[in-house]
Amino acid sequence: MNAPLTIGSVAYSPNVVPIWEGMRDYFAETSTPIDFLLFSNYASLVDALIAGTVDLAWNTNLAWVRTVAQTDGACRALASRDTDLVFQTVFVARTGSGFTGLASLRGRRLVLGSRDSAQAAILPLHFLREAGLNETDVALTRINSDVGKHGDTGRSELDALRAVLDDRADAAAIGINTWQAIGRGELLPGAFESFWASPEYSHCTFTAMPALSIDRSDEWTANLLAMDWENPQHRPILEMEGLRAWVPPKLDGYAGLVEAVREQKIPDRW
Amino acid sequence: MVAAIPPVSAGLLLDLVDSVRRVPTGRSVSIDFGTCDRDAALELISAWCLSSGNEIVKTEGSAVTVLHGRSPDPLAGLDPDQLPGSRVWVYTNFDCNLACDYCCVRSSPKAERRAIGADRLRQIATEAAAAEVTELILTGGEPFLLNDLDELVKTCTDKLPTTLLTNGMLFRGSRLERLRRMDRSRLTLQISLDSATPDIHDSHRGAGSWVKAVAGIRTAHDEGFRVKVAATLPADQMHELEPFHGFLDTLGIVRHDQVIRALAHRGVAETGIELTVDSLIPEVTITADGVYWHPVAADHDDQFVTRDIFPLADAIAEITRQFMEHRRSANAIAEWFPCA
Repeated sequence: MNAPLTIGSVAYSPNVVPIWEGMRDYFAETSTPIDFLLFSNYASLVDALIAGTVDLAWNTNLAWVRTVAQTDGACRALASRDTDLVFQTVFVARTGSGFTGLASLRGRRLVLGSRDSAQAAILPLHFLREAGLNETDVALTRINSDVGKHGDTGRSELDALRAVLDDRADAAAIGINTWQAIGRGELLPGAFESFWASPEYSHCTFTAMPALSIDRSDEWTANLLAMDWENPQHRPILEMEGLRAWVPPKLDGYAGLVEAVREQKIPDRW
Repeated sequence: MVAAIPPVSAGLLLDLVDSVRRVPTGRSVSIDFGTCDRDAALELISAWCLSSGNEIVKTEGSAVTVLHGRSPDPLAGLDPDQLPGSRVWVYTNFDCNLACDYCCVRSSPKAERRAIGADRLRQIATEAAAAEVTELILTGGEPFLLNDLDELVKTCTDKLPTTLLTNGMLFRGSRLERLRRMDRSRLTLQISLDSATPDIHDSHRGAGSWVKAVAGIRTAHDEGFRVKVAATLPADQMHELEPFHGFLDTLGIVRHDQVIRALAHRGVAETGIELTVDSLIPEVTITADGVYWHPVAADHDDQFVTRDIFPLADAIAEITRQFMEHRRSANAIAEWFPCA
């Protein structure tokens, strides 16, 4: 019997404990049992992964990019949620605000989420730069709540939307998951509309260090990918974690974030 | 001048998302929509719950309680024969040749008959079969006081397997002839007997009743019927059952047909366990007065469900709905108290 693999995760939601207890129960029936450790922020999680305190880290896209940077690319991405491969940033405004694309943000007020949120702060600035706008062309407001959790809680994005409603900003940059959570503008058609959505990029991924053998990580990954949405024991865990299937990671989906981190000189320990 | 009602605000939607995210799946949060237009607010919250996989569990004034995630099926975990409507009880009449001191529906020789009647029973049997009821259970009062009991039973056994509850004391003369005309392949007799010796049984049901009941069990057996025996015992005697089971074995009653139930504090019983709708799995029960939650309270307003017996499927659906509501409330209470 193999010793359990220790998975590290950040406690970004009150569902984290039931999710990981469910995962632990699932893996107990496999050839690769697990236990888990919870962290309050991604910097500590990445430190623990590199130090060997945990065998695997459930990383955000920023945590993955920072792990790659800190290990000179020695770490490996093992698996992601299906929803992680098609993540997007959405720019939204009050309905009828007259935005037609990123270029129309010039001279307007844009509110961003937490500074360590890839979807609501780091990538939006990257997309603006790609559209020919720099930080002085747009009046930026940042809502830095839950820093350390890389925007996982979604709180800063909801606060950004409140800023738009309160006329403290003209537009907000949020993740597609938050946009979906508020009904994509369809529940209250007169409230919000999206005027630009980014290309799809990759979000979270399980990350391993070379100390974990390929054989062992392959075996664990195969067991993870075997979780089945149609299985009533598996589904509640998958629903809480926001996926229908675990899938292999899509590494080229991190290219934009790598570039954004370089452009914005994002510190290693975020 | 009447103040205008503010329309529903998008802030409510953001508060909703934020509040629900802050509690784990399976927990509830309360959202107050304040002075917003009530219909619009409820429509928005309902639409959001539908699209996001959450559930409104309660609305009270301007406060809406939203469950993070969907509530589990409140009927999950029940045996199939515990599902409301799997069996339907019918009180054929309320008068009785005995006046037991614990009768849950106050039957006695002086009780009004309040007979269900042939026409209603035929319709009940027909609709029960259509509603996928698996068994009819006839009780009283004492059904053998009815001169048309064999016809009544036939209307039931023609449609569904049926159990007939009786004190077993009247299997003589014309009543024995009626018994003999009943369909042995579709009818089970359930005869009441409370003890292995006459003393306890007779102290509740009247002198000489034990001897007659035991004779009735033997007669029913001799006539080729499957016989169940049901005893009603105070809860504090439920642990002293083996001598009684041993006696029923000698009468040829197989163990799974030996039904022991605790005395309920209902009817004329002065003591017994308390049974309320929120602590009792329902058994759809029909009397001449309407539909009740459970046969143990078929004479009590607190378990009266509806006067409308028909359509029977609607009555079953109503009891099911109320049962699910009670189970959800019980789950909600269980959710709140452990943290207190």
